[in-house]
Amino acid sequence: MKKGYLGIDVGSVSTNLIVIDAEDEVLASLYLRTQGQPIRVIQEGMAQLSNLVPDGVEICAAGTTGSARHLAGVMVGADIVKNEITAHAVGTSRFIPGVQTILEIGGQDSKIIILRNGIVTDFAMNTVCAAGTGSFLDQQAARLTIPIERFGELALKSKNPVRIAGRCAVFAESDMIHKQQLGHCVEDIIAGLCEALVRNYLNNVGKGKEILPPIAFQGGVAANAGMKKAFEDALGHEVIIPKHFAVMGALGAAILAREEIESSNKRTRFKGFEVTDFSFQTRSFECKSCPNHCEVVQFYQNGEVIARWGSRCGKWDVQAS
Amino acid sequence: MPVRVGIPRYLAYFSYYPWWKTFFEELGFEVITSSPTTKKTLDDGVEEAVNDACIPIKLYHGHVVELKDKVDIIFVPRLVKVRKFFTETFCPKFLALPDLLRASINGLPEILDTRVDLSQGPLELFRISREVGERFGVGLSRISRAYLLACKALRRYKKLMQGGMLADEALQHMEKGGDINRDKKRDLTIAVLGYPYLIYDSFINLDIVKKLRKMGADVVTAEMVSPRSLLREAKRLPKQMFWHYSNRAMHAAYYYMNRKRVDGLIHVTAFICGPDAMLDRLMEIEARQYGQMPFLTVSIDEETGSGGVDTRLEAFIDMLKRRRVQR
Repeated sequence: MKKGYLGIDVGSVSTNLIVIDAEDEVLASLYLRTQGQPIRVIQEGMAQLSNLVPDGVEICAAGTTGSARHLAGVMVGADIVKNEITAHAVGTSRFIPGVQTILEIGGQDSKIIILRNGIVTDFAMNTVCAAGTGSFLDQQAARLTIPIERFGELALKSKNPVRIAGRCAVFAESDMIHKQQLGHCVEDIIAGLCEALVRNYLNNVGKGKEILPPIAFQGGVAANAGMKKAFEDALGHEVIIPKHFAVMGALGAAILAREEIESSNKRTRFKGFEVTDFSFQTRSFECKSCPNHCEVVQFYQNGEVIARWGSRCGKWDVQAS
Repeated sequence: MPVRVGIPRYLAYFSYYPWWKTFFEELGFEVITSSPTTKKTLDDGVEEAVNDACIPIKLYHGHVVELKDKVDIIFVPRLVKVRKFFTETFCPKFLALPDLLRASINGLPEILDTRVDLSQGPLELFRISREVGERFGVGLSRISRAYLLACKALRRYKKLMQGGMLADEALQHMEKGGDINRDKKRDLTIAVLGYPYLIYDSFINLDIVKKLRKMGADVVTAEMVSPRSLLREAKRLPKQMFWHYSNRAMHAAYYYMNRKRVDGLIHVTAFICGPDAMLDRLMEIEARQYGQMPFLTVSIDEETGSGGVDTRLEAFIDMLKRRRVQR
């Protein structure tokens, strides 16, 4: 039997699953859209993943990350549940030794992680603004009826990128429409948009951070070659896109799970790929015990409550392992 | 029946409540405070307050709504200056607080909007106390006694906090006595700085202190530093800021960066707070300057979902722990 380690990253836009071996080589990976239904997507993903994993691999540990990490952790039986910052830092350091800066742009948030000697020394996440994240690019691609996959390639064709206001998604859009009505070609507008997003990212998330090479750029948006070029132009350094750029969070979670199990010598809590066949349901209710009226979520597996969360006082919290 | 005076459990409450409570009780009033902030307080506040006010001001409105039908008077001091310190005053919304309430909330009882400007000298607080007492027909000797006991209560409260208690722990200790059970010392110490009404209200800050302690970090605050030590740190600023609470937070940041080094600084800030926009940046720059002190900003707004804050705190603590291991 070969040992395998599962990592799951459930973000706002995408859900990524990965299985690595004991040397952290990727055995199988999957990138799915969350589409607002994390439970269904995790089950579907697990079903697909079980077909992708080579025969004779046994899952020895599981880790989850992303904004739905707790939900995912309860569903599959995770040995470790970690925040995205730590997961990304761990994953990237493994594949780009000595990495000092990680630029990550996902569906709804973006972050920067500064590392020195393999240790996170500083990080920032976007605060209130979604301009520059994947969702916004998606939306603009749809408006221009350009498949998002071709966005980068078109951007690279531009000779004279137009200047677009990138401070705010709403202003950026009206600015783009304005430029388009003036007759600028689509390539220049798209390249201009990439530059605007990079400017906004560096001003907002990257404000005051010491960005030193090697610089890694990852998250779904790293698929866009136009964004890579815009970053390189703005920073004056080469920007490396790791091979598994879209699933780095999941990869980090898998590595953390492996480390957790190896160091603790415990048996994994992973429930197996059978979770695909379980029936998972959530029901929520409003607790009336105090004026806080917390929205408590109950999580059922095959009709049994296995977890409950959401109360401020903690009186409802249950976490069966 | 004694006159019932209502004290909203918010804003300057966390700085001065023992003084107010003692004073009014010694004058023969019944003191009634609003309950700790809940979702209802927030909902009421958002409904009543002007739309572009910050969350703390809205919450204060919510506390006033809770009190308005239960008391005869609501005490909303107009805090201008509590010390003579350059051009420092309270933020303009504190100065306008009684007016904001009157303009927004219907059916208010009398608002006792005593103006507090202590920059005139040490006797000023007594003069103000006398004015309040005499308005309600209390004799001079009783006012003097109330004043002295109030000052004593506040001194005790401050001492307790300087001894390491958080505001609610100190207040509980003064009310019920007994020892606050101090659990064992944790691996990390983090300074959580910002305005007292963000740091000590566990509802609006989404339980930051409790969460940090659970993750293995002891929490220290500006109130745990003696005023003398804070003033000494003030000299590091080439020019003082205009706002009282901002200065205190910044001075405390210097203290924890230099005198009693902590593992990290967390600045809790209210979204759209003008003074904070500057304070936050200043703290961040200085944290980097003074030996790379790890720094995190946690921005507080109306949201009750704690996902964003949890992720940031968890990542921050992870970072500090991994740094430790390396050193």
